[in-house]
Amino acid sequence: MLGQWCVFGAAQKLKLEVQLVWATNDRESPEPSHKPVEPAVLKKLKDLPLKWTNYFEVNRHEFEVPASGVVNVPVSSKCSIEVKRLADTTMEVSFIGKGKPVEKRIMALPRGELLVYGGNAPNATAWLVVLKRLE
Amino acid sequence: MTENDHSSTDDQTLVRAAQKGDMAAFEELVARHRDKLYARAFSMMRNEEEAVDLSQEAWVKGWQRLGQFQGESSFGTWMTRIVINLCLDQLRRQKRQRTESFEAINEESGGVERQMPVVVPNPTAELERAELRQRIDQALNQLSHEHRTALVLHEFEEMEYKEIAKTMDCSIGTVMSRLFYARRKMAALLAGLKKEDLR
Amino acid sequence: MIAYETQLKIQALLDDELSPSDARRLAETLAQDPEARALLAELKGTKAALKSFEEPFTLPETREFFWSKIERSIQAQPERVVAGAPLWVAWRRFLVPVSSLAALVLLALLTLLGPGGKGPEFEAALSDPGAFTYRDYSTGATLVWLSYPAENEFAQEEPTDTIE
Repeated sequence: MLGQWCVFGAAQKLKLEVQLVWATNDRESPEPSHKPVEPAVLKKLKDLPLKWTNYFEVNRHEFEVPASGVVNVPVSSKCSIEVKRLADTTMEVSFIGKGKPVEKRIMALPRGELLVYGGNAPNATAWLVVLKRLE
Repeated sequence: MTENDHSSTDDQTLVRAAQKGDMAAFEELVARHRDKLYARAFSMMRNEEEAVDLSQEAWVKGWQRLGQFQGESSFGTWMTRIVINLCLDQLRRQKRQRTESFEAINEESGGVERQMPVVVPNPTAELERAELRQRIDQALNQLSHEHRTALVLHEFEEMEYKEIAKTMDCSIGTVMSRLFYARRKMAALLAGLKKEDLR
Repeated sequence: MIAYETQLKIQALLDDELSPSDARRLAETLAQDPEARALLAELKGTKAALKSFEEPFTLPETREFFWSKIERSIQAQPERVVAGAPLWVAWRRFLVPVSSLAALVLLALLTLLGPGGKGPEFEAALSDPGAFTYRDYSTGATLVWLSYPAENEFAQEEPTDTIE
């Protein structure tokens, strides 16, 4: 039984990716390092009721959460995403802003789906933190 | 409020009306302040088309942000700040794309203005005011964006060093250096002017 | 040859940016150094030339044409929230403009998606009062909007304010 669990645990990888995205109506980002978000993510963002027309990827991090593990990924100097793995691929996702947990939810994130946190940024733009599952 | 009424209405009243969504009131504000805004944009960009586009963008932003205007400054000053910021953003984008000439790099890194001999205006020169204005225009054109911006913000917007540093996102020392370079270069380019014209 | 630092102080004196004690020390320098006095005179002359000739530029488009472009751009923007609007309108700022009926439907959906609503796909363990959740079932995207005032998430240090 333990062996079965070990095999099952090893097979059920939870590999995630988090992106920090800048939402704007400007055609270009003033930062050369920013690049347009990938088409698959762009399509989903455009389907959300957001008013911006352009989305630029600021940074991205891939990470794996081990069974019964917790991983905290800083997305910017002001926020991080913490993922605690529960049963199977169910996880507890915490959005931490300025060191304090702001929002926490228990969910499964099927491949192909997105969890997006967003907030206002200067000059009528917005920041978005996009979490998706890779494996 | 009819369009005819707006022409004799003060800015404060027009702003209040525009904040409530009165486009005609905002149009009157645009008409009143458009030249001043354009002049500021042109003095920074030195390009007519860019100055028109940035002025237009500033007015649209002004409409969007009108709710934030609390009357801490005049409406004209508030709008001018918006267009200055847009111009600075555009100049920064252009700087990243621009290949710097050796002269521009030398100008930015400073040095030459410290050793320039002092320029004394020629009291015997006869110049029409139109020609004087043209010379100043040409002289402004020959400055780099950074030096011209420092000069424009100090001499025309009457900003203090600290305020210019904040706007240009640089140190006060850099503001002082840029202003100094710009003034000395201007003096050299305007050399030969009647003393009376400079008072 | 005057030291560069002194040259900048002469400029600062002209611009009224020098402290009283520095101004007194510089006055002594000026009294003794003709080169320093000449530099001050030159800077004054340039300042005067610029002061007299602020560019009288006129925008090279007619009032009507210029305004028509601005008006079109304003109308193409999402609607601006008028000060004092009800709270439920405030969160619409981040939404694409929708008709009133659609907005009400959206609001109803948001209510249902909260904890205790029908068929939640998540369990909220902690929820900020300023957070709104929107779920798009067809694309599989969940948006959690945190309605705080704008801050720069991209700055690694305190952002420099721009003048507004």
